[in-house]
Amino acid sequence: MKAKAIKVLIAKPGLDGHDRGAKVVAHALMEAGMEVIYTGLHKTVDDIIRIALQEDVDVVGLSIMSGAHVPIARKYMQKARDAGIDDKMVVIGGVIPAKDIPQLKKIGISGVFPGGTPFLDIVRFIRDNLTHA
Amino acid sequence: MGVAKYTKNEKGQITDVELQSGIHVKTFYGPEDLERVGFSYEKDLADPGQYPFTRAIHPQGYRSRAWTTRQYTGFGTPYETNERFKLMIANGQTGLNVAFDLPTQMGYDSDDPIAEGEVGRVGMAVDSLRDFEVAFRDINLAEIGTGLTINAVASIMLAMYQAAAEKYGYDPKVISATPQNDILKEMIGRGAWIFPVEPAVKLVGDVIEYSIKALPKTNPVSVCGYHIRESGATPAQEIAFAFLIANAYIDNVLARGYDIDEFVGRFSFNLNVFGNLWEQIAKFRAARKLWARNLKEKYNVKKTSNMFLRGLFGGGGFGLTKAQPQNNIMRGAYYALAAALGGAQTIALCSYDEAYTIPTPESAVISLRTLQLLMDEVGMRDTVDPLAGSYFIETLTKEMEAKIEEESEKIEKMGGIIPAVATGYIQRLVSRQAYEFEKGVQSGEFLKVGVNIYTEGESKEVELHRYNVKTAEKQIRELKRVKRERNQRDVKRTLEALEKATKAGENVMPFLVDCCRAYATVGEMTKIFRDVFGEFEEPGLV
Amino acid sequence: MTSLVEKILNGDEKSAARLISKVEEENSGAYTALSRLLPHTGKANVLGITGPPGAGKSTLAGRLAVAFADSGRNVGVIATDPTSIHTRGAFLGDRLRMKNAEKKKIFIRSMAHRGYPGGLAKAAAGAMYVLEGLGKDVIIFESVGAGQSEKGLFLLCDTIITVFTGDYGDEIQLLKAGLTEIGDILVVNKADKPGAEEAKKDLEAFSSRVNTPGDWHVPVLLTRADSGEGIEVLTDAIKRHWRFVAESGKKEQKKKEKLGLLFIALLKEEFWQRTQKRLKKNRLFKDVLSDVRSGKTDPYSAMQKVLDSLGTTNI
Ligand SMILES: Nc1nc2c(ncn2[C@@H]2O[C@H](COP(=O)(O)OP(=O)(O)OP(=O)(O)O)[C@@H](O)[C@H]2O)c(=O)[nH]1
Ligand SMILES: [Mg+2]
Repeated sequence: MKAKAIKVLIAKPGLDGHDRGAKVVAHALMEAGMEVIYTGLHKTVDDIIRIALQEDVDVVGLSIMSGAHVPIARKYMQKARDAGIDDKMVVIGGVIPAKDIPQLKKIGISGVFPGGTPFLDIVRFIRDNLTHA
Repeated sequence: MGVAKYTKNEKGQITDVELQSGIHVKTFYGPEDLERVGFSYEKDLADPGQYPFTRAIHPQGYRSRAWTTRQYTGFGTPYETNERFKLMIANGQTGLNVAFDLPTQMGYDSDDPIAEGEVGRVGMAVDSLRDFEVAFRDINLAEIGTGLTINAVASIMLAMYQAAAEKYGYDPKVISATPQNDILKEMIGRGAWIFPVEPAVKLVGDVIEYSIKALPKTNPVSVCGYHIRESGATPAQEIAFAFLIANAYIDNVLARGYDIDEFVGRFSFNLNVFGNLWEQIAKFRAARKLWARNLKEKYNVKKTSNMFLRGLFGGGGFGLTKAQPQNNIMRGAYYALAAALGGAQTIALCSYDEAYTIPTPESAVISLRTLQLLMDEVGMRDTVDPLAGSYFIETLTKEMEAKIEEESEKIEKMGGIIPAVATGYIQRLVSRQAYEFEKGVQSGEFLKVGVNIYTEGESKEVELHRYNVKTAEKQIRELKRVKRERNQRDVKRTLEALEKATKAGENVMPFLVDCCRAYATVGEMTKIFRDVFGEFEEPGLV
Repeated sequence: MTSLVEKILNGDEKSAARLISKVEEENSGAYTALSRLLPHTGKANVLGITGPPGAGKSTLAGRLAVAFADSGRNVGVIATDPTSIHTRGAFLGDRLRMKNAEKKKIFIRSMAHRGYPGGLAKAAAGAMYVLEGLGKDVIIFESVGAGQSEKGLFLLCDTIITVFTGDYGDEIQLLKAGLTEIGDILVVNKADKPGAEEAKKDLEAFSSRVNTPGDWHVPVLLTRADSGEGIEVLTDAIKRHWRFVAESGKKEQKKKEKLGLLFIALLKEEFWQRTQKRLKKNRLFKDVLSDVRSGKTDPYSAMQKVLDSLGTTNI
């Protein structure tokens, strides 16, 4: 059996349009040998769930700069459970205060990468924590 | 080291410096450099206040008037915003600047499911005229100018501002608003776009055209190189793209049969200030000159004062760090120095804590004092354009001018700024550059104090504005009440008229003002635009 | 995997998506599952879209998907993007172009081609069977569009659309693109751009000279995928071609032939993969390779030598 290429969905949920960070991380993951889908801006959680499901990505990365990361993460995890894809790794990047990280982890977010996290840390986290069935 | 590329030899001596814009800096400069770049006092510099205004737009520079400062505000409900405004005015502020929440920026009402969790979060929530009535209650709109930081639905917000002013008895001719109204930069960088490029630019044109006659004291557009730079553009690209965008708006209005001198004097620019000090100074000087030349030579502008590059140089938010946050105070001082040596008329500094929290009143005062120090203590007002004649600065200014023109020609060659944005050429270019830059910071190629060098000490934690669910609930209750109490027949009539005008390609502004007067909501008006215009197809990463 | 097959046949998208991933991973259980799906396939209309980079393939695929869905068909899209040879990563960007199809909840799957020749990913055929098992009766492939061999597309599709723009006006460009010989329908997209009309004329002249089997006349159509202009005419032409293929009795025959070819292609790839693995460990091969590189041996005698040593059995 072949080692699977890691497939990642970089998503921009909500109305915030600051996409420099999301695009920069997409580039970094692609250069690290991953297959990257970028959703584009202004996506609803339902949009993101559907894309993640159809594409059967290994990782969903949510980029959130508006401060709404906790409600969005909660909504995402709820709907992912409903769709039966809550086994996928979910990571969050953006403007994320450290004090919110435990809460995000409790909701089911695997990794939190505030702006400025070295690309290598993100790549390593994904590689190390993905468990292929 | 810094944001430029440095090459060193084995001994650690710098052998080459390449600025972000792609210009190489020499070890030292002399008369032969001025000769090499073809520098001429009359053509390239001239006295302050003389065309091409490289040195300053005023003959007296900061002697006659120091630069002004401006601050960005507006959070939560219109009630809270109104309180804040009144406080600021009591403290001597002469201009207001409204930030809007994301649903408003994207043309959704607060009760739209898509607005959930975002109402009042990053700015004020606006649904109907009622909100503006509240926000501007007891404020003298004949004396105070108001910036409206909004783009995709700038037309609606300006119409609403007019309707609110009228409600309080002001003649629209005396009120002064400054809607940002720069949609092309949203498509490049900030992402608050709604409609496709062509109708979106047409709306920008509608605002400008309408202002000429109906709102003569309004500054209908503020072109933001600022956000283009934050998205990853080089300083030369920042200016090149901003001017191409401004020209696209000019062309839209000229095509409606107006004379350029009727409106271009009210254009303003918002330019960024972080980066290499010399490159920024040269950028501002070259920009003033190129803008004047563009207007004089390409557009045949007659009136001298219409050729001025007006605007706000500042911000630099991207340069600030969470690490060792006090350093941001010094950074801010150097950024302010760059803006002042570059001849800014208006400077706004990000507060040192802005990289991780909502600025406190204390940090806002430090920003203000930083500027006052430059102005009143160390002699920044003594003489106009103190660096003029420097072999280095004049050479660099000429080289920057050539670079800006080169970047601009690249875009012209592929058909102009509109296709370059519509096809995503510029977005891909800047996001690729942003990635390369980020890699450079992470690898230590670009040095950032406190981040990848001299890193001792702790980073500040990010703190966000606490989101108040009650704010949203209150806003939605208010919206429901307005919808219940308004005259439904008027709403229907004015919205239908708006739809007809939109389809017919007429200037929508008078129709929007009528809709606002009838308490039609932002969501209702925007929906008409969405249905008629469609939505912008976002270009991809490759 | 039994339950996976059942769930797919019951229309479960998640299971379909998972099985496609397993096919991509070359999981042998996935191949068993595919063989169980195969009896349920063969009826869908399969459309291939190819053409040079940026011609508008994805936008067009999205439009066509919506048009067929609106006429009551159950549509699936498989979009292929190139894998970078340097990083082995990929940007799967086609999907973002299919906004309208996304709104209609059409099943879209993006695939990196991972260096597999022929314009589609190696797992493309498997993905097609999975989508058919899911109940899709129209399947649209977008090829990687590099413009080289589009054999993969040819193997799987009933109808192939080649998309051009005004930039590909003259014939030399067309021939260089090397695509026209497999187009059943030629499209000049970006009709709003200069050169589109001329390109259409050139293509018409070209297609009238190309020998097409039977009496199918290759139409050349102008479209604007971004606004939707010309899509109706295009869907009509596609339906005509489907009827043509069905009535000429070719569909059945072609399908069988193609299954045979697909089998051979899969086998060929597998043979090569395995041989390559063996070669990497083979002492003689390494020596001969370095002899070739240093000029001691010519490639032809080198090949003979390796073949002799490998023998013909036990692959
Ligand atoms: N002016 C114009 N632009 C179009 C038209 N159709 C598509 N485009 C634009 O052309 C660009 C490329 O479109 P895609 O659909 O991504 O093209 P593609 O052939 O799939 O590209 P690759 O998959 O990267 O090879 C996008 O910006 C589209 O919006 C059209 O008819 N007219
Ligand atoms: Mg494509």
